[in-house]
Amino acid sequence: MFALLNRNIKAVILDITGVLKDSGPHGGTPIKGSIEALNRLHSSGLHVRFCTNETTVTRHTLVIHLRSLGFTIDEEKVFPPIPAMCTILKDRNLRPHLLVHPDALPDFKDIDQSNTNCVVIGDATHQFTYENINRAFQCLMNFEKPILFSLGKGKYYQEEGELILDVGPFMKALEYATGVTAEIVGKPSLAFFNTVLNDIGISAHEAVMVGDDIVNDVGGAQACGLAGVLVRTGKYRKPDENHPDVKPDAIFDNLEKFVDCLLQDKK
Amino acid sequence: MTNQIKAILIDLSGTLHIEDDPTPNSLEALARLQARSEIQIKFVTNTTKESKGFLLNRLTQIGFKVQESEIYSSLSAARKLIDEKQLRPFFLIDKRALEDFEGVPTHDPNAVVVGLAPDEFHYENMNKAMRLLHNGAQLIAIHKARYYKRRDGLALGPGPIVTALEYASDLKAEIVGKPSADFFLSSITDISCQPSQCIMIGDDAKDDIEGAQSVGMKGILVQTGKYRENDEKRINPQPFKVVQNFSQAVDVILEMLH
Repeated sequence: MFALLNRNIKAVILDITGVLKDSGPHGGTPIKGSIEALNRLHSSGLHVRFCTNETTVTRHTLVIHLRSLGFTIDEEKVFPPIPAMCTILKDRNLRPHLLVHPDALPDFKDIDQSNTNCVVIGDATHQFTYENINRAFQCLMNFEKPILFSLGKGKYYQEEGELILDVGPFMKALEYATGVTAEIVGKPSLAFFNTVLNDIGISAHEAVMVGDDIVNDVGGAQACGLAGVLVRTGKYRKPDENHPDVKPDAIFDNLEKFVDCLLQDKK
Repeated sequence: MTNQIKAILIDLSGTLHIEDDPTPNSLEALARLQARSEIQIKFVTNTTKESKGFLLNRLTQIGFKVQESEIYSSLSAARKLIDEKQLRPFFLIDKRALEDFEGVPTHDPNAVVVGLAPDEFHYENMNKAMRLLHNGAQLIAIHKARYYKRRDGLALGPGPIVTALEYASDLKAEIVGKPSADFFLSSITDISCQPSQCIMIGDDAKDDIEGAQSVGMKGILVQTGKYRENDEKRINPQPFKVVQNFSQAVDVILEMLH
């Protein structure tokens, strides 16, 4: 029993950016203590999964970056939105107009993109130009039944000490312009968390999600029945501790402090 | 009752003219209105890129006799707000519109002012705007239109960009153009009259008529420009009058003054 959360925790689901590492060039930099903390989680016997809204690289590249930073991590335990998106596109016979980061395009290589009938928007960073957003807008206005998917809905993240716009604001721009409500693939969607839980084979109350995003990590996990833990790293800002809608089950200075407490408790 | 009307507010594009052409008989109708010395006229328009000088020039070329002081645009309203609150804006507006903001300090910005500026809406500027908003800057929208018509089809207006910044910063933008109540009230601050003594003539049921009537003005909806059948039924209360065009609106007003 993890006394703090009053739950019998069997699995720890970790956000990547802002929890394991800060984003930046060449895969970013590890957050102090997180490499060791992850190793201790791996040897604790707990299930560990990684649930990220990262869409600026392929899953494969993301894992290679993390390993080169010193993290021990298996690709099949990493859950980013794009593979989940591809499953949905195939299941529903949808052919996307993509507004995504060029480095993430290889993960869409098996997807038919001719004669498009939906729009998929991800964290396209420098591809978020007026003309590119306008093209997505025009597609939606021309579809008989407009469908918009957004790979997460984060507002911003932290990179090299500065806040950077995430996909969410651009999703909101398209929603406002077209009157279409986006379907979210990635955190905080229930389906996304459930995919991870099903992969482990446990129920929601046996898992804890650790993240730096009060709404998408903590709030999303809690809405799905998981415990939600906030860490004071990454994009964390002080007002997050008094968020009007989301109250974390616990708050720790960083991943290391959380793992200390969790494993101590387990003994 | 008859002598109560003191000011006429007139929308430009779609009401007085369409592109470079006057609407039917509007040149002569405006002259008839201008001949009545008891009436003050204001030309009120939502624009995010056309300065007063530009608007004046276009109206003059079409053949209207207009003074620059009679033009009150959403840019004028933004300028007024900036001056009153002593704001130092980061401008996301078209370069042509900067003429209306001459002399406004822009160092160490404490506001973000958003118009329609495709060249300025890129990732770096959007990030810069978001960081300023997170550091306490105010968000001001010239107006919040969803989209407009461009040669290659529909194109995003300033509204979606404003919405993106609102979401990223957890702020609500202050909208200075039509249909904001402040816009209509501040357009008549240099005329000594009450809103109930004003008539607004426009082709946009929501932005022109509903907006003006919400502050107590009377609204005459014209069936030119962007008017579509039954537009008048989509607002509450309904327009004071619905007429075919600007010239007929002038007929109605002159009848009231008689």
